[in-house]
Amino acid sequence: MEKEASQLEKDHVHSVYEKIAPHFHDARYKAWPKVQQFLSDQEPGSLIADIGCGNGKYLHINSQTYKLGCDYCFPLVESARNVGHEVMVCHSLYLPYRNECFDTVLSIAVIHHFSTKERRVRAIKEMARILRVRGQIMIYVWAMEQKRRKFEKQDVFVPWNPSPPSWTLGNTCSRGIQKSINQKDKRLALDPHSTKLAGVLQAHRKARSSSFVWMKESTYNSSEKSLRWSLFSRSLDSLLHLHNHWHQRELCTFSNCNIQLDELKREKLFEQIQQGGFMKHICNLSFPCRQNSEENASEIAVKPGSPVIFHPVPFKKYYSELDQDNKQSPMSAAIINECSRVCLPDLVSHQKAVKQQLEIDYHPKQASFHKLQNRTKTDSSLQGVNSDCSVSTWNKQLQRSPNGACLRYYHVFKEGELVELIENHIPELHVIHSYFDHANWCVIAEKIQVQKI
Amino acid sequence: MKLLTHNMLTSHVRGVRPGGGFPLRIQATEVKVSNVDFNQEFVARMIPKVEWGALVEAAESLGHLSDLPPQLPPEYENNEDFLKKVHHVLLEVEVMEGVLKCPDSGREFPITKGIPNMLLSEEET
Repeated sequence: MEKEASQLEKDHVHSVYEKIAPHFHDARYKAWPKVQQFLSDQEPGSLIADIGCGNGKYLHINSQTYKLGCDYCFPLVESARNVGHEVMVCHSLYLPYRNECFDTVLSIAVIHHFSTKERRVRAIKEMARILRVRGQIMIYVWAMEQKRRKFEKQDVFVPWNPSPPSWTLGNTCSRGIQKSINQKDKRLALDPHSTKLAGVLQAHRKARSSSFVWMKESTYNSSEKSLRWSLFSRSLDSLLHLHNHWHQRELCTFSNCNIQLDELKREKLFEQIQQGGFMKHICNLSFPCRQNSEENASEIAVKPGSPVIFHPVPFKKYYSELDQDNKQSPMSAAIINECSRVCLPDLVSHQKAVKQQLEIDYHPKQASFHKLQNRTKTDSSLQGVNSDCSVSTWNKQLQRSPNGACLRYYHVFKEGELVELIENHIPELHVIHSYFDHANWCVIAEKIQVQKI
Repeated sequence: MKLLTHNMLTSHVRGVRPGGGFPLRIQATEVKVSNVDFNQEFVARMIPKVEWGALVEAAESLGHLSDLPPQLPPEYENNEDFLKKVHHVLLEVEVMEGVLKCPDSGREFPITKGIPNMLLSEEET
């Protein structure tokens, strides 16, 4: 279980950030005012640890303090370093710091990337360890309750769109892209296997003048619901072991990240990317949403009521590629439909019974998948199908499954959940303030002396 | 990596005895010295947060001891000369390339372009 959780985070958090790191830049990722205020309020000479500092957008605030940033993602840490910040690479569960050496700890948009409750508790405990008594910690996690987004589950995969956001509805770019969608839509509609996907594209087209299409309850019928990204599950990419030329380019991008990996790890990554590339293809195809992450939430807030639309560039690219292998599309739609209900490992850990339930659930799906596989095998345009891809080896797949490089894993927090987590599991922290800010649940807590008996 | 940063770092490799991962020994192949504006109050407030012995040892190992005494002198808050030396060691001396070695396990953590890589493998956690 622990291994699966760790692997999931590797595939759907670490790998994604390494890949998307080049797209982070200061103009897009602004400091949130309340975080800025918190840092400015720290007294001169404070030692501050920013855990999960990314490219260091909070490290320049309050020059009277000393800030130490750390992140798992080397390319992001490197960009923070390039602008003169003190940073290092480490894992949030194993902070390389002495006990109680920091006056203040900052954890913005980190804890929601841990895939089990136990790991979320451990991550907060580890930060409490390095905090001095009476020192304060600020924690931000993505909220389930959001005006513009609706989540059906707390454990979700959120697609990342590599292009900057586009805000103007109906500008020439988005119209142009809409056109290309319509053409693709027609092509897909001709394929008898693609009805579900076409239906969603249809829904998307209808909803283009409204806000974020995947959030609109009204645009769904029951079959389309299963395609929503909020229901995306681990099993989806576990089942896809396909290969196409497209991954080579992806690998090149990845290697350029200058990640410190030994050759063995590189080989392993290569395999994962080969397998994961198709996943990315699908999600770009089927999930034409712009990035919806905590990073740009402030921009959304600045423009109330402005429609959130996807950016055209990736669409053009991926749709033109579809010309070469569009036969994958119906299959992708079908697989999404088949697999969207499988739970994440977290649920298994808390209810052992669920695991059995999963396996029972799986049999009909397994049959469906084999049908799909057979169909795939007869399709000469698809190569490299892994014949060992049996869903009965669920656990094995969790460990070796490909990474859907563009899907970030989040555990979105319900109201009160973060406070409850701290109060029930981390006695050394005392919550002094909790609030909602930029689609995040936020807590400021103080370390207290815990009497050891 | 500045020496103030180094002073906070420890190794948590599996099997290290409690507190045994500190201080990490610095084996530098490239050290950079830059100018940082002196802020007397900042340095004076920072000193109590620093493990003095580890700072002296680190500075010495890089050849930048800068006359720091082995024991923290009393009433240093208004000793500008002393605080300037501490300022230099804490903030102006930077390790750009090299390794940090865990004193207990011998595990080495690389420093590349001034960035320590403190990641542990699964077997080490």
